[in-house]
Amino acid sequence: MNMNERHLILHNNIQQIPQLAGFVEEIAEEKHLDTSMAMSLNLALEEAVTNVILYAYPEGSDGQVDIEAIIREDSLEFIISDSGKPFDPLSVPEADTSLDVDDRPIGGLGIYLVRSIMDTVAYERTDGKNILSMTKKI
Amino acid sequence: MEVNINKTDAVTTVRLIGRLDTPAAQEVSKALEPVMEDAAGTTVLDCTEMNYISSSGLRIFLTLRKAAASRGGKVIVRNISNDIRQVFMMTGFLNLFEIE
Repeated sequence: MNMNERHLILHNNIQQIPQLAGFVEEIAEEKHLDTSMAMSLNLALEEAVTNVILYAYPEGSDGQVDIEAIIREDSLEFIISDSGKPFDPLSVPEADTSLDVDDRPIGGLGIYLVRSIMDTVAYERTDGKNILSMTKKI
Repeated sequence: MEVNINKTDAVTTVRLIGRLDTPAAQEVSKALEPVMEDAAGTTVLDCTEMNYISSSGLRIFLTLRKAAASRGGKVIVRNISNDIRQVFMMTGFLNLFEIE
């Protein structure tokens, strides 16, 4: 099967988040994706990677986030891995988006967006790494 | 990201220009502190030139909406793009805000 890979390594510094936009843009160009699809992918990636940057490593320590994109004919797969503390983002309860303003909690939307945008999202802990894989048909 | 705040007697208008991603949200959150404290009137979030928002940006919108609700004020979200409208729809934000 026709397949191509791209790789991005970020450090656990929130200021590096904008690099994801360029990473997605290159993939979008290669696959001729429209701007709506590119924005959705950028958003899902940002939410997943932000989680790692903010919570995986102890504050003040340097840690790495690996982002691998596997580009297939009709789908994209993103594999996000880190060597931080074990954490399954999918164990976070789903945000209830039907609640009124008084009852809406301020947080919890990040992983909800990842689940909403992507077709599949899976977590595993292997060899001391958190690995989040997510796919999207294109 | 650029934030312009313009206050008249009745209305505070906040123009958000660029990408409201996680690092930008940290700055915007600080810039909007006075607006949050003054949320008893009408606050307009002008999104004409905002082309991206992530959950940290949504959190600012919601925090402002809550501040307004508790002080009897209101928040109007103006001119969101179709892509951002999608994000608002996914997260139920369309029901939380007056959108014009």
